[in-house]
Amino acid sequence: MLTIENLHAQVEGKAILKGIDLDVKAGEVHAIMGPNGSGKSTLSSLIAGNEDYEVTQGKIILKGKDLSEMDAEERAHEGIFLSFQYPVEIPGVSVTNFIKTALNANRKAKGLEDMPASELLKKIREKAKLLEIDSKFLSRSLNEGFSGGEKKRNEIFQMAMLEPALSILDETDSGLDIDALKIVANGVNKLKSKDNAIIVITHYQRLLDYIVPDFVHVLFDGKIVKSGTKELAHELEAKGYDWIKDLASHGV
Amino acid sequence: MAYTEEELKKELETKEYEYGFYTDIDSDTFPRGLNPEIIRKISEKKGEPQWMTDWRLKAFESWSEMEEPEWANVNYTKPDLQNISYYSAPKSKPKYDSLDEVDPELLKTFEKLGISLEEQKKLAGVAVDIVMDSVSVATTFKETLAEKGIIFCSISEAIKEHPELVKKYIGSVIPPKDNYYAGLNSAVFTDGSFCYIPKGVRCPMELSTYFRINQAGTGQFERTLVIADEGSYVSYLEGCTAPSRDENQLHAAVVELIALDDAEIKYSTVQNWFPGDKEGKGGVFNFVTKRGICHERSKISWTQVETGSAVTWKYPSCILKGNDSVGEFYSIAVTNNFQQADTGTKMIHLGKNTKSTIISKGISAGKSQNSYRGLVQVGARAKNARNFSQCDSLLMGNDCGAHTFPYIEAKNNSAQIEHEATTSKIGEDQIFYCNQRGIDTEKAIALIVNGFSKEVLNKLPMEFAVEAQKLLEISLEGSVG
Amino acid sequence: MEFKEKLISSHLAFEEDLYQNDRVAQARASALKVFEEKGFPSKKEEAWKYTSLEALIQKDYALFPKSESSIELNEVKKYFLYDTDTYKVIFIDGVYSPFLSNTTHDGLDVCLMSAALSKPKYRQLIDTYFNKIAPEDDSMTALNTSYAKEGAYIYIPKSVVAEKPIEIIHFSSGNETALWLQPRNLIVVDENAQVQIIERHQSLKEHPVVTNSVTEIYVHQSAFLDYYKLQNDLPSASLIDNTFIVQEKNSHASVHTFSLGGKLIRNNLRYFHKGEHILSTLKGVTILHDKQHVDHATLVHHAQPNCESHQDYKGIFAERSEGVFNGQILVDKIAQKTNAFQQNNNILLDDKATVNTKPQLEIFADDVKCSHGCTIGQLDEEALFYLRSRGIPKKEAKALLTYAFANNVLESVQLPSLKKRINGQIAKKLGVNLGFEL
Repeated sequence: MLTIENLHAQVEGKAILKGIDLDVKAGEVHAIMGPNGSGKSTLSSLIAGNEDYEVTQGKIILKGKDLSEMDAEERAHEGIFLSFQYPVEIPGVSVTNFIKTALNANRKAKGLEDMPASELLKKIREKAKLLEIDSKFLSRSLNEGFSGGEKKRNEIFQMAMLEPALSILDETDSGLDIDALKIVANGVNKLKSKDNAIIVITHYQRLLDYIVPDFVHVLFDGKIVKSGTKELAHELEAKGYDWIKDLASHGV
Repeated sequence: MAYTEEELKKELETKEYEYGFYTDIDSDTFPRGLNPEIIRKISEKKGEPQWMTDWRLKAFESWSEMEEPEWANVNYTKPDLQNISYYSAPKSKPKYDSLDEVDPELLKTFEKLGISLEEQKKLAGVAVDIVMDSVSVATTFKETLAEKGIIFCSISEAIKEHPELVKKYIGSVIPPKDNYYAGLNSAVFTDGSFCYIPKGVRCPMELSTYFRINQAGTGQFERTLVIADEGSYVSYLEGCTAPSRDENQLHAAVVELIALDDAEIKYSTVQNWFPGDKEGKGGVFNFVTKRGICHERSKISWTQVETGSAVTWKYPSCILKGNDSVGEFYSIAVTNNFQQADTGTKMIHLGKNTKSTIISKGISAGKSQNSYRGLVQVGARAKNARNFSQCDSLLMGNDCGAHTFPYIEAKNNSAQIEHEATTSKIGEDQIFYCNQRGIDTEKAIALIVNGFSKEVLNKLPMEFAVEAQKLLEISLEGSVG
Repeated sequence: MEFKEKLISSHLAFEEDLYQNDRVAQARASALKVFEEKGFPSKKEEAWKYTSLEALIQKDYALFPKSESSIELNEVKKYFLYDTDTYKVIFIDGVYSPFLSNTTHDGLDVCLMSAALSKPKYRQLIDTYFNKIAPEDDSMTALNTSYAKEGAYIYIPKSVVAEKPIEIIHFSSGNETALWLQPRNLIVVDENAQVQIIERHQSLKEHPVVTNSVTEIYVHQSAFLDYYKLQNDLPSASLIDNTFIVQEKNSHASVHTFSLGGKLIRNNLRYFHKGEHILSTLKGVTILHDKQHVDHATLVHHAQPNCESHQDYKGIFAERSEGVFNGQILVDKIAQKTNAFQQNNNILLDDKATVNTKPQLEIFADDVKCSHGCTIGQLDEEALFYLRSRGIPKKEAKALLTYAFANNVLESVQLPSLKKRINGQIAKKLGVNLGFEL
């Protein structure tokens, strides 16, 4: 599904990623953990095509296609979805209107007609139910005045609507209380299939109790310093990130 | 991002005015110039009664002593008013009984505009009184309206058929001496619409008029008079498109609204006059005076979507004379290329417990200048007057300007006035968020602009809202990321 | 226009009297020409739409006091900032009073404009700064320039922090039947320097006096200017204050204007930015009664990127008083990342009071955060009821709320004794004892 080869990247001349290799197969859930400033969010932004970050070396390949020359919307059309750590407000644009525009833009890219209104409505209802979203919520301006939990739930709702091949959940657990966390995790689990893949980026292992990863990678100072299975997350939780710092300084 | 700023600008510049065409209709045009003789001739040609001729001449007299105003935040070469022909009418034929009689060229024009009469006829609930240049050429749905006692006709016809109403109300809200352009209009107006809703009648359909400028060098001086008698309701739509022309064309309309006790008038405008080309050449000068008077417990609501004209000078206003009356102004003004707009409203609170709301959304792109100018005035006797104003500006690119000139004058200590203004641009993060969801930059801008304008778009009648959204998109197409 | 003629014809006698600095003389002459051409501003001018000088200029005024008046210290002590040691530049009827003043040349210059204009050692500074930012086409400023001779001259050299605040006070003795004053101040705060200045105009007797003052202020790189204008004159005194400030990079200039007394006051306050990362603060509290009229005309011209300005004016208007706020924010195309905010809140206490406000934004750059807010209203009835239900009499309750309304402007006053004094003046103006010592 996704292959990242020796990825180096910088922002405003400062190197953030210093050689990342990652292979994510269909049906897999990968977790990327690491302390603040380790480059987690840079990695997700890069995959999504944020132009604030510059790739200096290496490649990102999705289903055999090199993404380097693709714009953010083209990557989205290829099936990349980023659940933003800080979802952006767009005043006056309702959740429904936004998702309709996004869905039809993706269909158009695939050569499909706009989704008929009735079908769209049905789908919205179904996915809203999955994430326990109230219909009133759908008419509100996108992310404007949303609580932290509402914003994240809305991100996963969009993921459900767009049915991406690869979803990156960037700190989706931040700002969520335990109930909201369960709802979001439950939604994600239901969306998981053998045909798609998910990358969960998180600081804590709390979310990983609900979205169980097949692989866990620990990112530190722009490099993956350790990979393992879900037990690694527990180990990390128990030993703290200082343990990783020690690992990194002694070489893996 | 798909577009660099440069690419977007380039694309925008190549977008020509889509309604820029010229209809070749044989017109009956007066020699250019303005003097009492011409005014008499206009009046005579239209078969007007003496009182109307006299009214015009008096207006001309006072206008002759007035000076063209210069206070607006716009720059342009003043039109040579002696080089304008003040009367141009499609070749005279008194009236048409059916569409077959209408000049096929004209019908073609309307088809191009997407407002063919055939279609209009089928459109339930919209009666159309079309003003082509200066004379009303077709009126539909008149009979349905007549059943309710509603009068909807050209102003020329009203002068002849309903002189008592016209005599009583014309110039009562906007006297000829009001301002330079209103004075000019009063002297030379050739046609326009007239509407009277009788007591207690709710007009069953949206009344609409399409204006069009045609004929090189023809000034347009429409005159609209809407009277809503006690307890009545009417929603009036006005839409404009104009063909492309090198010379600047002057449009100086006057719209007067009278809402008697407990009446409500909703007046919506979508204005798309030719804005000039990408060099800033040509385009319509739109110097309009629009004002309504509210009697007891009545309400006037102005909604406008302004995307056209090279220079716009327009302040739809409400005189809240009656106690408990309400005035509203909802506006979207979009300027691009070299367009200049100085627009806003005046809310004059005279009665007790009067309320007004002003929502203005200005969007500037290209090298354009977009100004909001508004006045909220609370008179000494206007106890418990309330006003809320919100003026938001959106700047697209760094060659344009957004300006806010609100005047607030309060002479009563029970007044409550709130005014807020903000200026912003479309955030890179907003665009990226949309991009990430598969929405390209151009569409993202349209989406964000629509969101920005939402409060005003929501106030438009359905059939207009769709058209307005389309217009917004067209006028900002590709204008900067 | 009799008084106008007098102003023009008296100029000859004025010039003959003076030491000639060519540039200064020339500036005066051309300024006189501007005034002669334009005359006094009328309400037809947009900038003077809500303020008329018509009634003021109907009178005849003495331009030069006939005799020097002396004042006992005891008479005027109460107008000084007590509790605080200050430098003082004091004028009586436009004439410098060495007796009341406390000037210095020790490490910084706090002295007289007349000296600066005439002594060769100031020549270079005068050439650099005098009449450089005062707009040439403004008729009241031009009128002042044409008679520019006396006022305060303050120079704070590089990295000097003035350890004492400076008071500039213009007294009018009342010995003339009617007096027209035209003080001219020049203030230069050099790189990294800091200064606090308090300016006031005070009549000692009820008699018609009009002051048309011009102050030019230069705030150099990383310097800090903290300026307070105390306007609490007698009801017979009018003031047209013109203050022009140029700021260079990383500087902060703050002007607080407290308008409580006087007949007609017009405050023209303009800021011009000549560098990045500038902070400009403009704050004002206006409390009027009777037929008082105060007009604040502000301009912040953002001409460089990354600068910030804050305007916050509160007005409380009783009886037949009139308040005007004419605030302008101008953002040039180059001034990206500007943050400019403007707030004007007004309360009308009485039926016949009037507020005219015109907050303007003129924006030519797209990546900016600019906003203005303006309100006209009354005291919160619910809050009033709440206080009264706690046993506070209505009058006190009103005063408390009014005080609270103006409070956030007072909060930024950095001189404690000044803050205390203004508190006291506000309480007095509101006719109420707030129950704590002022």
